[in-house]
Parts: sequence; structure tokens; C-alpha cells
Amino acid sequence: DVRPGALVLCMDVGFSMSNSEPGQEPSFEQAKKVIQKFVQRQVFAENKDEVGLVLFGTDGTKNGLAEDGQYENITVHRRLMMPDFELLEEIESKLQPGGQQADWLDALVVCMDLLQEETMGKKFERLNIVLLTDLNVQTSADQLDVIIDSLKKARITLQFFLPFPVDGEDRADGGGDGPGPSAAPVRPGKGLSRQQTQGLEMVKNIMTSLEEEDGLEEVYTFSDALQKLSIFKRIDRRPMAWPCHLTIGSSLTIRIVGYKAVTEEKVKKSWAIVEAQSHQRDDVKRETVYCLDDDNETEVQKDDTIQGFRYGSDIVPFSKVDEDQMKYKSDGKCFSVLGFTKQELVRCSPFMGSQVVKVFAARDDEHAAVALSALIRALDSLKMAAIVRYAYDRRSNPQVGAAFPCIKEKYECLLYVQLPFMEDLRQFTFPVLENNKKFKPSESQLSAVDALIDSMMLVEKDEDGESVDVFKVNHIPNPQFQRLFQCLHHRGVNPDDPLPPVEPWLKRDLERPQAVSARCQTPLQDVKTKFPLKVVVKKKEQKTSADVFGNQEHAFTLTSIPCEVSHFNRRSLFQVGSVNPVRDFCTLIRQKTVSFDQACQQLTHRIEQLLGNRSPEYYMKSIACIQAFRDQGAFLTGIFRSSGICSSKVKNRPSAHVELKTSCLQHALLFSDALTLISKDEVDGSTFSKQDANQVLTAFYSLQLTSFKKFV
Amino acid sequence: MAERREYYQNEDDEVEEDEEDSGGDYKISGRDSLVFLVDASKEMFIKGEDGEPSNFDMTMQCVRSVYTSKIISSDKDLVALVFYGTEQSKNPRNSFKHVYVYHDLDSPGSQCILDIDKLLGEKGAQFAEKTMGSGETSLGDALWCCSNLYSDIKLRLSHKRLMIFTCRDEHHGGDGAKDRQARTKAADLKETGVVIDLMHLTKPGGFDVSLFFCDIVSPPEDESELGLQIEPCRKLEDLQKRVRAKELKKRSQSRLTFSLGEGVNLAVGVYVLARTATKPSAVKLHRDTNEPVRTKTRYFHAHNGGILLPNDMKRAQVYGKKQIVMEKDEVDEIKKFDDPGLVLMGFKPMDRLKLHHHIRPALFIYPEEEQISGSSCMFTALLLNCSEKNLFALCRYIPRRNTPPRFVALVPQREELDQSQTQATPPGFHVIFLPFADDIRTVDAHVGPTASDEQVDKMKEIVHKLRFKYKSDAFENPVLQQHYRNLEALALNMLEPEPIEDLTMPKVQMMDARLGPLAQEFKDLVYPPDYNPEGKPAAKPESGGGAAEKKAKVEMSEEELKNHVAKCTLGKLTVPVLKDACKQFGIRTTGTKKQELIDALTILQNLCLIN
Repeated sequence: DVRPGALVLCMDVGFSMSNSEPGQEPSFEQAKKVIQKFVQRQVFAENKDEVGLVLFGTDGTKNGLAEDGQYENITVHRRLMMPDFELLEEIESKLQPGGQQADWLDALVVCMDLLQEETMGKKFERLNIVLLTDLNVQTSADQLDVIIDSLKKARITLQFFLPFPVDGEDRADGGGDGPGPSAAPVRPGKGLSRQQTQGLEMVKNIMTSLEEEDGLEEVYTFSDALQKLSIFKRIDRRPMAWPCHLTIGSSLTIRIVGYKAVTEEKVKKSWAIVEAQSHQRDDVKRETVYCLDDDNETEVQKDDTIQGFRYGSDIVPFSKVDEDQMKYKSDGKCFSVLGFTKQELVRCSPFMGSQVVKVFAARDDEHAAVALSALIRALDSLKMAAIVRYAYDRRSNPQVGAAFPCIKEKYECLLYVQLPFMEDLRQFTFPVLENNKKFKPSESQLSAVDALIDSMMLVEKDEDGESVDVFKVNHIPNPQFQRLFQCLHHRGVNPDDPLPPVEPWLKRDLERPQAVSARCQTPLQDVKTKFPLKVVVKKKEQKTSADVFGNQEHAFTLTSIPCEVSHFNRRSLFQVGSVNPVRDFCTLIRQKTVSFDQACQQLTHRIEQLLGNRSPEYYMKSIACIQAFRDQGAFLTGIFRSSGICSSKVKNRPSAHVELKTSCLQHALLFSDALTLISKDEVDGSTFSKQDANQVLTAFYSLQLTSFKKFV
Repeated sequence: MAERREYYQNEDDEVEEDEEDSGGDYKISGRDSLVFLVDASKEMFIKGEDGEPSNFDMTMQCVRSVYTSKIISSDKDLVALVFYGTEQSKNPRNSFKHVYVYHDLDSPGSQCILDIDKLLGEKGAQFAEKTMGSGETSLGDALWCCSNLYSDIKLRLSHKRLMIFTCRDEHHGGDGAKDRQARTKAADLKETGVVIDLMHLTKPGGFDVSLFFCDIVSPPEDESELGLQIEPCRKLEDLQKRVRAKELKKRSQSRLTFSLGEGVNLAVGVYVLARTATKPSAVKLHRDTNEPVRTKTRYFHAHNGGILLPNDMKRAQVYGKKQIVMEKDEVDEIKKFDDPGLVLMGFKPMDRLKLHHHIRPALFIYPEEEQISGSSCMFTALLLNCSEKNLFALCRYIPRRNTPPRFVALVPQREELDQSQTQATPPGFHVIFLPFADDIRTVDAHVGPTASDEQVDKMKEIVHKLRFKYKSDAFENPVLQQHYRNLEALALNMLEPEPIEDLTMPKVQMMDARLGPLAQEFKDLVYPPDYNPEGKPAAKPESGGGAAEKKAKVEMSEEELKNHVAKCTLGKLTVPVLKDACKQFGIRTTGTKKQELIDALTILQNLCLIN
């Protein structure tokens, strides 16, 4: 069990933070956004880390150390606890610029004190303080050594977020070694104030004495932080260790530990179903019943069912107990070498599974380290990989996979990837491409594509001749999470508002880099003229009975006749009202104040509205409406319209199958309760072709049947 | 391989659940069918020298293995078993003499195999003699009967094949009329799309195809297959090979637009060339009758019992002590970024593609000329150029509507042929999924001492001794193989399932033998004498009497709960404690997940505050 970390966000709200050059966002706003994004992520990722918030430069003072004018204008806004919505709302509304200035070193001491006090008697995996400041305040450096010492003793790590990059050189060209456009908000012209220069020296001093040469890597600019939240990685959860033995034959064993290094991160929480009005989960009860496939749909108790498997045309009963008894049994976790093979042979094979495991020697076992190192180096120099049997534990299915050697500057490991079983492979053959005369590109076509490729290279050479990747996917946070968190946050704060649009920066992350876009314009035009690409317009295909009877969705999409549900005009006197739609409809038809078609449209609209409500009286009303349609000989039109409604719904919201089924149910009820089946004769005389009409009718008949089976 | 695929070619009607073809115009292409037409004349029952099984016996073994393979690989296919040259007659309208339809054209089940088992071996020959006997031969009648079998099938058949098993190269003893009739009927069958194949069996003095059968069988589809006509044994071997793997028809998972930008769009089909095969899902049966049982799921209101329609329900999640509610449509909308398709971002050299950046099995794309004409030419130009320059294309990929984007690397693959001129690798781009920042975990590397050259060299010797040529189809999934054999055993009333060979297990003895003293030599180089790598690291010290303490149930007071909720410290409690707390405060808990329990308690506490 990994114990969570504790982290104090310490933000400078002093008056200098609110200053900004014209056209620049004040540091305060930037820092606030960083905090907001960070807390948002913590809340929605349900990170178990506890977070505290300390503000300095506040008008008031509220902290445990304040005494005799010491530690003034520093406010402990929130003690350590798991971040929640309240904190998000507080940051949104209560985090305001202050009118004072406070020493950031004092603030750091307050944070340390807070951490010490709150973590007393508890064990935390990590302790971290995040300081967001512009360093624009006089600090007294006399306590610096003591502070560094106690930070070390308490094993507290530090991260700094500043408005400017830490080294001068970086400051000149935009700063940061990060990918993507990291335009650091440099104060143009002026450079840094005396206090800032002095403060920066102290930051460097602290960071380098805490983490030696890597220390400065933990100093970021605000804009960097907003760009890539992956900076917050160090507080992410550590992957689980998987201790095991690597075996070669019966006698050679090496103690190893595996970690999931790469795996697709999924959204952790699923959506619960709540009642629409009360928003209570307990108001919804889910019931699953088992029934025989006979006419009566006889219900069967769950205990009276057993499982079986299809064997050709038969189903073989095969109870769970028997299955467990007879199934393949694995003999526990293992990482056993089956043999060694050329890397190139493995690279041709598709990789399976959803993860890559990094395998190290067991921690603090130098003999294992040497043994594994020998294997890694041997494989690397021979360009070979180990084929291994991998089983995570006794309950899991064994895999066959490849372990590749990986030698980095600082460490060595094996990288394990799962390989396919014979059953997983599909041997498809595809028609010849390059030797097919019909598709063979001409020389000029090839050179056009060549030029296009050259203009669209995402790896560029910089001034020093080193190639730089301008589009690193593994630095982009998954937009799915960002978007989900954004929507959840928005809905949480504004329950009645519609969802917000996708944030522009998130969209920008997913687009082709601007420079590349600009470069490829001309070659792309050339390609466009040299390659004739034409969308093939399909002839309307003959509809087969399978299409009509296929399933409900098909039946509906088939009858996708455009339907205009006209806007309801309140001022018009000539319309089908909602109180007594049938009477209105009949009057309209009689008086011919509006066209027959319009009257039908209006009534359809009403039916749709009525179907939107779910209570028996509305049902009865809509039945009456359909009856009226029928009486007026316009039944078919009505059907077309209502099916049009459904299909348009499907079109607009492809996920609305469920809703569709509801309408099916309602239709089914309507048909069965009030109306006899439509006879073929009624089809005659309609404005639609007989063939079309028949199709719709058959579709509806089958629909009626299926909906009955499914819902009633 | 080529032939095996041919014979077992399968048109699977079932699409994998996650493999919907969004092309929309896909039609079920029908089923495969296969008729075994087996000669039952006296000659077929003659045993070979040295007690070799008779041709009839071999044929039955072969038919049985095809049946059992079909059941697993493609259970919707139709098969029939028809004997000719029999004494007895049995066919749908009994209009043909000396033709015995043993199995009508249907999807095979366990009974079919049990029926075939009756015809196996010495007893089988006796059984055949008793039920069918051997009599006059009229291949014409037999073929006519088979064509009736085909025409009686109301299903759409995609592939029709008829296999004649015989050891007689001359059938009607010089009766020209019968020969002619057989030729006419064969031509009729071929006319309706049936492929007639001959499995001629060993005959003393050799089987002369040119005597009679060259006019009966379908001509070979291309030059390369011509040779196979003369070589029956290989076909038989292939037929006898048991295959226990579900076969899937080549079908695109989806058809997408591949946009290069500025309205330059081509169409591609997305294919799955490798996907983890899983056990087929179980069917629920009624315990007493073994009838299949369906499940129905309903939602109803807990208080008034009314059935809840989809509109009566919303979706909710609890975060940071707050319940956030959305419509079902909104939940889907959140996932929508753009329309489905591939959008080109740019190109990168192949060395920028990291081996260890793997999150999902790759897909494969191939142009769809039928959607956008000119796609194939453009695609080929891209393929040639990328492969020439050793580049991959980076694309944004949205497979379906309401699916968030992923970035993929399109890795070019040119067509390669093997020695027999069949396609070893198809032309197209592999679609490799790239991880986002969130998918890469921070792993603290274990840094330790490294090996010396001497140690590495010793390991090289070990590696050298244990090298082999890896092939991706060399390993069968033991879990699946065991499952299929279990099923077979149950279906065919076998005493126990056929044993499987677990290819994933290391062949320890063989490895030890090959290594000889090397393993010990290596260990002497890297491990000190007293080191035991198999030993477990020292167990963590147990806190004294912890078990007893844990058992003691501690009731949580309302005050405590309030504190926990306010401080968000519920997460620190263990699941059993949380469960007890839920019970104590009368909360119905369906979930067992920790977060669900925490959410439930949090909501309860918040409600109390409101009240």
C-alpha cells in the first residue's frame, strides 16, 4: 500500500504579483491558474495526496508562528487535507491579490512548520512544498543554512514556480527545455529587479544544496506549468513493484522487480445512474431477470441457471465449478526464459497487451544487479532479446513475451512486451499496391509527395545542429482527461449551465504545429493538383429484406425521411394547440386555413411533445392524435413523420439508441392499445409510392414485434 | 498454409463486439459450405499393406478432423457428408439410388462427430457395411443429389465447395452414358458456383486423373495451384491437421478519411491483424432443460416501483464531496473532439519511434478505392516515400464518433513475398498507438553495479546456446487450447480431454542439457558462494499481535465520521472498516470499491448537515 504524499501550495499574493507590463497577464493571475489547474487535477484524479494552501502578502495574518511582529502577512488558508470541491470554489472566489508584501523565506518556514505539525505521528511517502512567487521582496538570508538543513532533515522537497526562467540564457530565447512553444513571459527590456536577482541566487542556492546538480530542474516558469501539467508528475502515484525471479533453465535464477512503465491510463471513475428528478442513486433500482426464449418468456430464477458454451450447433452445459476444475492452471508468477532470439525477428511481430514492464534487479541486491547486468549487456551486444513466459500471479493467464535490453546512461533494465499467440493472429492478404499498374504513382506524383514530406518534418535541426522534436506526443496530457475535468468542474460550479466548449489551448495541443502548417501550404497545393481524388458517389443500393428486418436501428435509419418540425408560432391563431390537439387538427383540416401538410406537421409536433411526457393521460392523448391522423386518411404521413422524428434523433445523437427504444415502446403501446394493425388499403392514396410505404409498414410491423418482445 | 486457409476459409457472421464496421454498407456475406462426397465402393475398404488403415478409414479421420476444426474455427459454416456407390440409398426425396446422405448440409454439432466416430476403424467398416453396403456407382446421380442439397439451403452461401474422396480413377467401368451424365452434372454444379475438388487416395499403380476426373473437377484458380492436383497427400495432411482457433474473415474494422490537410483526403480501411483471442462467452442455460435463457435488465423506481425509462435517469459522479450530475448525452458529448478520421500532423524519422512506447496492439490501414477514387495511388506514393526515407507519419486518430483522439504513428510496410510467392507481409501502414504524458509512469530506476566483460562474455555463451528462431505463430495459448479440449471432451462424451502441450513452459531439461556447465560457471562469476537468489528477501517485521487487533471491530461514532468527511481522511480507513461504517449508518452498499464506500458515507454526512 502506497502511502500518500503531503504537499503545501505556497502562493505569493503580494502587491508586486499584480503588477504587469501592458498586454501581459499579471503573475498573480498566472499563478492562480497554475494552482487551479493543479487542484482540479488532484480532485478529479482522486489523488490521495493531502494538500495545504498558504498565502503570503495577505492583508491579514494567520499562522502558528506569528508572534511579536514576526511572520506577518502570512495566512494558512487551508491545513493539510485531501483537495475537494470546496477548495476549488475557494480558489475561484476567495483567492484575491493582497496589498502587502511578505518574505518568501518566512512563508517557506511557515509551510515547513505546517507540514511538520500536520504530519506528526503519521507516515507520508513524500513531503513537498510548492512556492509560487515573483521573488520581488526583500529577504533576509541569515537563516538560509538553518532552513536548508531542516528541509533536508525532514526530507521535504521543494518546487519553485517563477514568472521568469532560472538562467539568463534561457530567458533570452524563451526558456525551458520543454517541448512545444514555451513562450516565457519575460519582462521585456527591464530584466530583473535587485530583489529578484538576489532572490534567484537564493533559490539556486537552496535547490542545488537540496538536490545537487538536478535541483534546478525543479524550478519552472508559470507558463511552462500551464502548458504541461506533467510537471506535477513527481507527486503522482508510483507504480507497484512486482518482485519475481528471472529463470534460465532449472538452476540459473536472478532476483528481479518489474514495474509497469507504460500503460494506457483510463478514466478511473464510472458514471453512476441517478433518478432524473431527485438525483438520488438509491431511487434507481436495477433488476436483471432471466427468462426462457418461449412465447410466454417464462421467468427463471438465477439459481436455476447454469452456463454453457456453444460447440457447433449445440450448446454444451459446462458449469462454473466444472470449468474451474478443468481449466488451465498456471503455477504462479514467473518470468522464465524460453530462449533467445534475434531482436529483428521479434520486432516484426505485432506487440500485444496494453503495457510495457521495466525489469530491474531486486533493490539493494548487488549480486542480482551484476547478474542481470550481464544478461542485459550480452543481449544488447548480440542484438538479441529473451523470449519469456510471464505470469503475473497464480490467477492470471500466462503470456509469452519478449524482454529487450535497455541501457541508459544512468541505469540498465529489461523492457518486457507481450507477444501474440497463434490464436491472436489473423492472416489477411491484401491486393498488390506498388506493382499494380492502376495505382502506380508517376514520377511527378512521387516527387510532389516527397516535397510534401520534407515540408512536414516534425524533427528539425536547431542552430547547434541537434535535431529537435517539435511534436512530442508523450509530453501532451491526454485531452480526454483535461476535457472531462473541465466539464466536471464547470458543472460542479454551475449546475444549470450547458457544458462549456473545449478550451482553446486544449484544441491547439491537438493541431499540427503552426510552423509546419505554414510550410506545407505550397507542397500540399501541388499534391492536390497532381493527385485526382474523388469521393465516389454510391448508387442507391437495393434494399434487401435483411436491411428492413435487420434490427430496430436499421429499420429507422432506413426510413430517414427529412422531417421539419417547424417552430411553433405562438402568435398564429391557426395551429394545433396542446389542450385539445385533435379538435384543432380537425378544424384546421375542415377550414383549410393552413395546408393539409402543415396541419399534419403541427399535429406531429404535438405528438412528439406528448410523447416527451411520460404519463398515461399523455399517452391517451397521443393515441387520440394518431387516431385523428388515421381518420383523416393521413395516417401514413403521420407514421412517416414520427419515424422521421426518430431517425432525426438518431442522426443528431448517435448514442440515442436508448431513447429510440423508448419511442419504440411507446409506439408499440400506441399500436396495441388503441389501433388495429394498419391494412394495406390504407396505404393507397397516400402521397408516397407504394413501395416505400410497404417498406415502412413492414419495418414498423417488425418493430412492433421486437419492441413487444423486448419491453413488455 | 495457403491451402489450409482455403479449405477452412470461414465467413464468420459474428462480428466482435468492439469491431463494428461504421462503413454502414456492409452486408452479411453468407456462409461457407463444404460437402464431402465419399466413395463407399469395396475398393475403399481394402486395407493397406503393413496394416495401414483403409482409404475409407483415412477419409473418415480426415472428415472428423475437419468437422471438429470447423466447430471451433467457424461454427456457422455448413457441412454435409454424402456416400456414393452404396447398396442402400438415403436422400431427401429418395430419388437417387446408391447415394447415401449421412449428414445433410447443416452447421455441425457434437452429434455429427459422434456419428462419424461410428464409421472409424475396424468396427466402422463393419458398421458401414451394415448400414450402407457397397453397390453400383453413378457419380452423376451423386453429384445431382449434392446439387439438390445446395439448392435446398435457404441461407446465403458465400463459398460452395464439394470434395470427392475416391481411390478409383475410373468409375463407371466404361459406361459412356454414365460418364457423360457425371460430366454434365459436374458442369451444372460448377455453373452454380460450386468448386469441385478431388481428394484422390492411394491406389496401387497410381491414380490417373486424366482418365476421367480432369473433366469433373474445377480448374485450378491460378498457375501456382496446378501442381497440387497431382499431390493428394499434402492436401490430406492439411485436412487432418487440427486447428483450434477461431478464424475471422478479413473485414475492415472501419473506413475512415485520411486527411493530409487543405481538403486533400483519401479513404482507408482499418484492419485488425492481431487481437487477443479470448474464450468465447458462456451462454446461460436453464438447469432442468438446458434451454438457453435470456436476460432482461430493467430499471425501476425504488419508491413507487414504476419502470424508469432512459429519460428518467441521469448520470452522476462524486468528486471532492460533491455530486455532479449530467445527462447521458452530455457524458457522450464530453468525449467528442472531432469527427472520426485520421489527420496528418507530420513526419518523423523511424528512430524517434520508441520501442517501449506501447499501449495497445497496432492496427493496419489499406486504401479504400471504392470510397474515394485515387486513394490507392496517393497511398502508394506515401508508402513508397516513407519507406524510402525511413520515416513514419504522425497522425491524430479518432476511430468512432464520440471517441477522444489518440496520436498514432503510421509505419510503412511494403509487400513482401515468401519463397512460394505468397504474401508474407501485406502492403500498407501499421497504426501504432502512442502514449500521452499520462500513460507514462515515473519509475524510480534501480541503480546497481554493472557486470564486467568476463561476466558479460559468459552470459553471451549462455545466450548463444539457447538461441532459436522466433516465429509469431509458434505459441498456442494454453488457456484457450485447454478450454476447447474440455468442451470437446464434454460434447463428445470423452472420458477426459485430449492433453495439451503447453508451449509457454520452458523446456527446462533441454535447456539444462544445452547449457551444461555454463550455468554453474556463470553463477560462480556473479554470485558469492553463500548467496541464494531463490531466497526471499527478509520479511517485513510484523507488528506484534496485529492480527488480533485488526479483528476487533471498532464502531465509528457520528462525530468521527463527520471529522473524517470534513478532513477527507476516510480514504485512510480500510475497506472492512468502511463497510462496517456503511452498515452501521444503514447505507445500502452495492459496490465494494473503496471509493464507492467513501462516496456513500460522504453523501450521507452531507445530507445530515443539510438536515
